Amino acid sequence: MTRGSRIELRDVTVRYGRHTALDGVSGVFDSGSLTAVVGANGAGKSTLLRIIAGTIRPNDGVVLRPINDGLAYLPQITAIDAGYPLTVSELISLGGWREFGAFKAPTAALRKAVAEAAQTVGLTGRLHRRIGELSAGQLQRALFARLMLQDASLILLDEPFASVDAQTSDVLLDQIERWHQQGRTVIAVLHDLELVRMRFPDTLVLAQQCVAWGPTGSALAAMAA
Amino acid sequence: MTLHALLLAPFETLDFMRSALVACLALALTNGAIGTLLVLRRMSLDGDVLGHAVMPGAAIGFLYGGPSPTWLSVGGLLSGLAVGMLAALVTKDRGRGDTGLVAFYLLALSLGVVLVTWRGSNIDVVRVLFGTVLSIDHRSLLQIAATTTALLLLVAVLYRPLAVASFDPVFLRAVGDRIPYQAIFIFLVVLALVSSFQAFGTLLAIGPILLPAAAAQYWGFGVAGSMVLASTFGLIASIAGLLVSYHANLPSGPAIVLAAGCLLGVSMIAAVICRHATAAMGRST
Repeated sequence: MTRGSRIELRDVTVRYGRHTALDGVSGVFDSGSLTAVVGANGAGKSTLLRIIAGTIRPNDGVVLRPINDGLAYLPQITAIDAGYPLTVSELISLGGWREFGAFKAPTAALRKAVAEAAQTVGLTGRLHRRIGELSAGQLQRALFARLMLQDASLILLDEPFASVDAQTSDVLLDQIERWHQQGRTVIAVLHDLELVRMRFPDTLVLAQQCVAWGPTGSALAAMAA
Repeated sequence: MTLHALLLAPFETLDFMRSALVACLALALTNGAIGTLLVLRRMSLDGDVLGHAVMPGAAIGFLYGGPSPTWLSVGGLLSGLAVGMLAALVTKDRGRGDTGLVAFYLLALSLGVVLVTWRGSNIDVVRVLFGTVLSIDHRSLLQIAATTTALLLLVAVLYRPLAVASFDPVFLRAVGDRIPYQAIFIFLVVLALVSSFQAFGTLLAIGPILLPAAAAQYWGFGVAGSMVLASTFGLIASIAGLLVSYHANLPSGPAIVLAAGCLLGVSMIAAVICRHATAAMGRST
């Protein structure tokens, strides 16, 4: 059982120039929680994930998370350069970056883990293909396999089901469920409210500010009100 | 004319042709690696701007020390790094990115020309803009060899993080790798431009970096393979350009850049033919 990270936001505000993306958001993602982040376009959902991932800094407020806990972040698939000359195997191997880093050679154990992760997401046999030869769904599966190798206690997913078919969605949802059962903290930005209602116990509704945060049923009811 | 007279005699008989060849070959080795990363990062325009950013510093170096390669290089390096940092600040707001970059391109170029003509002549301006690959002396050659060796070693040591940062910089930050690879890469690009600019001038220095790398992208190799192919294309373009410039009495720097452009054209056509042939084979099976 992996211990998930506890994330606390204290009055977090983010501005891009004159535009305020997040305005005084406060709250806690409990250790081992599975939370959907929903809201209209421009509500600050992706910004929230970037703030937690530490790829941008808040203008005001703080994000508290254990610094030694592993973090895995899946950006929107449109942020990935699918034309890059990288094989599926190389992409998934990057999940072991903390082990081999800039200078060490990838180990046999890592290669085995890559093959197992590829099998879990249904990409066996495509390991030596270029990522540019994959469909959007297959690329998303490969990125999920990379997340699996990262073995992180906090997993951030930005619109993981955008541009993927129903079969791929089911494979990825099963993996999210497994992460949740393993005790990892998972936060996913989503648009499909029906999916949120069925598979995510907690929901944060954003509209630059925190509209509702808690059990999915009550949070979505507050969103509709 | 015999094949020997066509291909070998210019390098056998003329010192300046040999020096130019050695300089171009040393530059091609590093330009292949740096150019490939530049193309993969989709930073061609940034590379062009940095090429011109070298100009004001080189001009100040020229005013201070005359046409000394050391002063030109030190000035160019400092000015390239300064403009690189300023451009990064201006282009932080990506909505105004292109305008900011082009503004730096124009201002750096104009400032450089004004500074050189202030104390120098029109010939000096032409030398700074287009380089003097055929007048590279022993001292300049040693300087190019030292810079390109240092660059190659740096790229070899940092190859993996530079390649990953080109593909997914957010990934490296998310896994806690806080080393500023983008800034390191800009430094390497400026260093490559400074070592190239004596041979090709500030207007053309980016050409031998970018064009062979762009051509190599059409052949479907991985990152390391593309670097090797780009360096090979750079070597071929250098030899072809020098020979054409010698036999046809054309300026050498532009001839080398044109030869690299021809390789880019050939690579594009070959890629189109390969794509059609693969599609035809797919239909027939």
